This record gives sequence, structure tokens and C-alpha cells, in this order.
Amino acid sequence: MRPIDRIAIAALAGVGIAGVLRLADWWFRGDHVGQPVLFVLLSLAFWYAVWRIVLGWVNYVALAKPEHRDALPGRSVAIFTTSTPGEPLAMFDRTLEACSRICYPHTTYLLDDTRDPRFRELAERHNAVCLELLDVPGAKAGKINRALAATTEELVLVLDPDHMPFPEFLDRVIGHFDDDRVGFVQVSQAYYNQARSFTAAGAAEQTYAFYGPGQMGLYGHGACVAIGANCTFRRTALETIGGHGIGLAEDLVTAIRLHAAGWKSVYVPEVLSRGLVPEDLGSFYRQQLKWARGVYEVAFTELPRLARTLRWRQRLSYLAIGTYYLFGVTTPLFLIIPYLFLWIGVQPATMRFAEFVTVAAPVGVVGALLYLMMQRWLCDRATERGIHWRGLALKIACWPVFLAGTLLAIVRADVPYIPTAKEAVRGRFLRLAWPQLLLIAVYIVTLARVLAVRISGTGEGSLELSAEAVWGMMAFATLPVIASLGAVYAAWESRRMPASAPWDDIDVATIGGRDA
Amino acid sequence: MKRRHRIAVVAAFLICAAGAVLGLSALGTASEGPLSTTLGWLGAATGAIEHRIRNRLRGTPRRSMLAWLEPYRTSTERLRKPDVTLLGAFDGGAPRTLDGVLALEARVRAPMALMQVYSAWGDKPEQQFPVSVLTAIEGLGSIPLVTWEPWLTDFESVRHPGIALRDGRDQHGLAAVARGDYDFYIDAWAAQAARFKQPFFVRFAHEMNDPYRYPWGPQNNTKEEYIGAWRHVVDRFRRAGATNVLWVWSPHVAYEYWDLYYPGDAYADWVATGVLNFGPIAQWSRWWSVAEIFGTKYERLASFGKPVMIAEFGSLAVGGDRAAWYRDALASMPVKYPAVRALVFFQTRDDQTVTYQKVDWTFTSDSLVTQAVRESLGWARH
Repeated sequence: MRPIDRIAIAALAGVGIAGVLRLADWWFRGDHVGQPVLFVLLSLAFWYAVWRIVLGWVNYVALAKPEHRDALPGRSVAIFTTSTPGEPLAMFDRTLEACSRICYPHTTYLLDDTRDPRFRELAERHNAVCLELLDVPGAKAGKINRALAATTEELVLVLDPDHMPFPEFLDRVIGHFDDDRVGFVQVSQAYYNQARSFTAAGAAEQTYAFYGPGQMGLYGHGACVAIGANCTFRRTALETIGGHGIGLAEDLVTAIRLHAAGWKSVYVPEVLSRGLVPEDLGSFYRQQLKWARGVYEVAFTELPRLARTLRWRQRLSYLAIGTYYLFGVTTPLFLIIPYLFLWIGVQPATMRFAEFVTVAAPVGVVGALLYLMMQRWLCDRATERGIHWRGLALKIACWPVFLAGTLLAIVRADVPYIPTAKEAVRGRFLRLAWPQLLLIAVYIVTLARVLAVRISGTGEGSLELSAEAVWGMMAFATLPVIASLGAVYAAWESRRMPASAPWDDIDVATIGGRDA
Repeated sequence: MKRRHRIAVVAAFLICAAGAVLGLSALGTASEGPLSTTLGWLGAATGAIEHRIRNRLRGTPRRSMLAWLEPYRTSTERLRKPDVTLLGAFDGGAPRTLDGVLALEARVRAPMALMQVYSAWGDKPEQQFPVSVLTAIEGLGSIPLVTWEPWLTDFESVRHPGIALRDGRDQHGLAAVARGDYDFYIDAWAAQAARFKQPFFVRFAHEMNDPYRYPWGPQNNTKEEYIGAWRHVVDRFRRAGATNVLWVWSPHVAYEYWDLYYPGDAYADWVATGVLNFGPIAQWSRWWSVAEIFGTKYERLASFGKPVMIAEFGSLAVGGDRAAWYRDALASMPVKYPAVRALVFFQTRDDQTVTYQKVDWTFTSDSLVTQAVRESLGWARH
């Protein structure tokens, strides 16, 4: 990274933070308090959103990319990938074939509990070792720990079964273990099925910024995290924390424990494999619920326990990760505010909209500039750059899921562990889209009522003087409705199953990588 | 690039940048940035457009019933020498709503051609040019009357290093106004007044001769300072092109020597005063008729040769017959006081500017008074 870039990012973030301070000074003026309870709620929701933006900037300031280190020969490497009942054999055919094409010497292990002899057959055909691990508690992580006990390799790559690694995968990663303090090396994640549906495109878009500037910033703060798939661990590192973490956020839990134990992590922002994103809305929601519920374990369990041994930048980073899904609590607050005003005239804050725009504009402009600037650090700029509006639409649509995850985490209730679906699952439209349809219905009724009241229920002497407030609120209510159309479309699309499986047209020999 | 090309490019850039900076600062006011000022006008325009759409949908808007006023409403000249007497009102609902004025005119069945709002000087957003309410009044077909009060202490010292510190600011404050210390505010207001285009009345620094009420009174200022400030403000407006403003000079005629505060024929378009009967609720007051409050001063007011406005007109309920008070005053108004060309009802429920308790000036809930007013306003219907 050029110094000029770092200076530009720091300068922009500085301007942005000055804008945030000015905004805070203005926001919390005494005469801005409308209905006190609602003001508090609105302030919490609004400042949570600003806090997320600022955290993003703080992350960007630390942006860093590790220097490549050549992989020296002589390391013993294992690749673990897991199969569970119901997962499609054809996908494993490709994954195992891709593993066998990896250049650096290694042993591939299939951690299998399908009780299906065809999986063993398949593994043997691709020179992989099939470890049959039946009835192991702790799902995927449990099997990994069991396999660790059964193997001896110094380094272990945990590969998601839907991910097809490129031949140079290990060559780009192994060199970083020359530093004895490195506990794990994570690489970027990319997909090969994002063009197959709106949901897939949106779900993929949501990850671009994270696997690009997001993780690079975390790396700069010494806290780049393991993300389930494509993470290479040092066996001795896992041993110091008693094995791979277990639970819905097993990857994050493992990462934070390793960091707390003093291990370093490296993030290689390169696309070295391609896998699957959920293609239908139902699967996407299930994946998001799992993540939302799981990530809170970082905030509720791991962080309080381990904070003392983490460095402050790591603490901040894990706090940022652990509170990400509070978005599900704040979104409904934003949604309901215009309706409260339009139906019963209650206002949380007595701010002039014009003034708000003026004061918030610098923050917004800096946010937009940094967002655009960060696109330079996307892992695969050719396919990933642009305005990620599908991702945003899906994120807004996900608030009930995030809210459910939050509530489940607070009451410490479990979500059953479901592996993210590999193939599209047919979903019923209404079941998936009802929150959005409800919102749209409420919106239309409200619009009709507002029009009726404006045409014949408002005194002529009040009409012009109330126009700014009423139509401003109406516009505020319109934004989420527009965003929800994306989710409605995604649900509509999810009604029918795609004719083919995503991997049908994939040739492992050409999926990617330098040789392809 | 050749050297002269480079110089030309740099010069062009500098000119554009300077133009942008000047343009932006011209858009904004001292207390409001260009963005919020523009958004304020945008909000007012939205309301005006919605109002027009609704008028299309719903037949007879109020504006169409005030068609007779149109020639006056759009002409500063006609409003300087009106050949009719205009009714008006201030309603306590303003600037949130003007429905109170409309309700009043429905009750008394006479059109309120003037609508009064009060606007104070200062840094707060609500102390800037009241574009939304003025646009709304225009949309209703009436003429705005702004009582513009120079509360100098509402400016933050930090934001205006050029003005006196707050503690001593009211002392000879009008001299500071005349000196140009407050031009940052006056000029911004004047520019927006010019942009508003429609004629409207400004009653600036009213009751300047009352030493107990407002900081711009004689306890802090000499009458020469007052006249200097008045003329300075009017000059700034004229320079800004705000010739659509009609200047209403409004002393408190109960105090002596009020006529010495007159700023001159070239600087005042109307003369005005308040006619408020507090009845016996205040120590200094008793039940006074309009003849007692106003009649004794009328000749002198009319002698300036300007149209006369009763800018605050009303009576409290306690201490006499309010219906009779209004009937006596209104029925004979055009005959007894022909120079009176505007009469503005003062209708607010919780006035505490003079007394220490809230007093209610409204009469629409009293059917006897409403009837008396309605019957006495035959001359005001067009």
C-alpha cells in the first residue's frame, strides 16, 4: 500500500470523525427532544448506525496486506473437508478433484459420517483418505477435533466442501507459517454461483467488502479472523486452545481464542478457491440466522472472558464483529418512526429536516468517498466492484432474522445446527416475503390515508405549513419500501428450483488459478 | 502544456473556485448555511405545490374568495395608499398553523386580508427569515405582516466576534444596529425578503418608546439612536432590492413623546399602534374603550399622512361588556377614524408578554362577542 493512500484514508477518516463530533453536538441539543422515550430509542438506533460507520473507518485506517512468502518445501499439510448425510456426491467429486490438483504436497482427508459407501469410493478415487467419524458431537468442529487426534500433519487446511481450491492455494499460504508466531492463515472467499439468482448475487455482494478491505483492516489491527472455510491452522496453535472451537460461530470462537493465546493471524486477500453462496432466500435466511445467533457468542461469552489477554485493537475489532447483528434491533425502530408520526402525530425528535441534512451531509459524503475508495482493495475487482445494492437490499430485508438471532442469543436459546444449503431449496413465496409484503401493505394504506387527510381533512391554513414534515416522513417511509422490493423479488425467484445444480457446468480444471 | 496554458488553467480554476465560494455564501445566511437555506425554500415550495394541486382537486380555495384583494396583494404602490380598509389577524397557532385565522374569519364572516406573525432576531433556525409561513400566507391569498423584533441578545458571541458581549449588548444596542454591527443578519434577511418578491409588511422594533417592555426601548437607547437604526435597516433592505417590503412604524401611544420617534416620511409607509384593553387585571389598567385608548391619539397618528394600522386589536373578558366594547369600536371605525386602513385582531390564548399571568385574547368561543363582531363588520365585506 502506498503511503499516499494511507494518508488519504486517514485524512478522510479524520474529516469524517470531525463531522461525526459536530453531528453529535447538534443531535444532542436539549430542544431536539420530542417524545422522550422515542428520542432515546431513535438516538440509540441512529448512533449505532454511525458507530458502525466509524468502526469501518477505523478499520480502513489500518488496512494492510502481507508480503508474500514463498512456501518452503518440507511442511506436512493436511486438508480437512467434511461430508454429512444429504450432501450431494457430485459436489464432492469436484471438490476432491480440485484438492488433488493442489501443487504443494499434502494429504486430503474426507471427514465422513454419511454412512454412504460411495463417498469412500470417491475419496479413494481422488487419492484422499476417508475418515469415517460417526456420531461425533459438535457437528463440523467436533469432527475436525476428532480428525486432528487421528492425524499428525503440522498444518491443517479446513476447507468447506463446496469450495474448489486452486492448485496454487497452499503455495500462497504456507510461507506465512515460517513465522513461528502465526497460528492461522485465512484467505479470501469467492464464489462461482453468484450469477445464478438475485439472492446469490446479493449474498455474494455482502461479502465483497468484508473479504477485501474489511479483513485487510482487521489484519492491520492484528485481528483478522478465521471464517469457517479455507483457513489453514497450525496444529500446535489449535492444541494450545484445546482444539477447534465448537458452536454456531466455531470459526470466530477459534480465532478469538487463538488471538488471546498470543497467536498471530495472517490474511491473504487473494481468491484461491471458489465456492457457493445460498441461491434461494430461505437458505440465505437460515444461514444468516445461524450467523447472527452464533456471532453473539463472541460478544457474550468469549470477549468478556478473553478481553484481558487481547490487545485493545483486537478488543475493538471483536466488539465490532460481536455487535454487528444489532442491526436487526435498530432497523425496526427506523421503520416504525414515520408511521408513528403519520398515524398518531408522535415525533421522537423536533429537528428541522433541512438542518439534519446539513449537519449529516459531511459524514455521508466522507462515508461515500471511503466506500468508493475501498473498492480498490476488493479481492477480485473485475467482478466485485460497483454499488452493492442487492447486498444492501438483502441486509435490510434480513432484520427480522437478525432480530431473532439477537433475541435467541439474549435468552441463550439454541438454533439447531444446519449446514448452509448447497443447492437451492424451493421456498413458498408468502412464507419468505411476508414481512416485506406486510410493510408494503402498511405503506400503501398509510399513503392512502395521508392523501385522504391532505385532500379533505387538513385545514387550508395548516396545509402548506405541515407539508414539509408530512412529505418528509412519507419519503423516509418510502426508502425501506423500495429496498424491500429486492427481497420480494428474491422470494418470488425462490419459488422455483433451478434446473441444474450450480456445479454441473463447472470444470475443475478451469475454475481459476494461475494455471487456468 | 505551455507556460501560458498553465497560467490560464490555474487562473480559470481560481475564478471558478472563487465564484463557487461567493455563490455558496450568497445562497446561505450568516446563521444558516447555503444548504439549509435552500432546503428551507425547497420545503416551502413543496407545500405551495401541494396546496395548488389540492386547489385543483377541491374547487373554491380561500384564495379565490379573496380575488378582490389580488390587485392590492401584488402591488406595493396600492398597499402604500390603499382605498379600502383591510382586516387581519394574529392567531396563536402560527407559525404551526393558520387554521385559527381561517376559523376566525368564518365566525365573523369577514375576510382576514392580513396575517400577522412575530419573528425575533437571533441565531436559531426559527429566528431566520420565516419563508415557510410567508409562503403559506401567500398560498392562502393573504398578505403577510411580520412584526420583527430586534432581540440582540439572541446572537451567540462566539459566532459573531464583531458584536458587543452579551451583557452589555442592549445598552445603546440600536446605535450598534445603526453602525452596521448586525448587517450580517439584516442583509441575509433582506436578501430573502427580496427573493420572496410578494409585497409584505414589516413592523420593525415596535413599541420603541415603552421603557418597561422591550430591550430596544428608551431605557437603553435614545430616540436618535432608534431613528438611526430604523433608517439603517430600511436602507439595507433597499440596497438588497427588497422594495416589496412596506415599513410599519408602530409606537406605543400611551406613553408621551411617541411622535418624536418617527423616522421620517421617506422611511415609513404606515403608522401603527396597538389597541388592547386589559381591563382591570393589571394594576396600571382599567376598562378602557377604544375611544379612550386610541381616539385621543388618532388625530396625531393620522397627521403623518400615512395609512394607519391598528396592529394589535382586542379586549380581555374581565371587567366590562366585551361584546359592547367590540361593537362600539368596530361599527363606527370607518366613519370615526377614516385614516385607519388596517385592523388586526390579536387572538392568542396564552399571552404573557405584559402581565405575569397568561391571558386569553380570543373571543370565538364567546358567541355574544362573536355575534357583535360579525354584525359590526359590514363595512369590511367585499
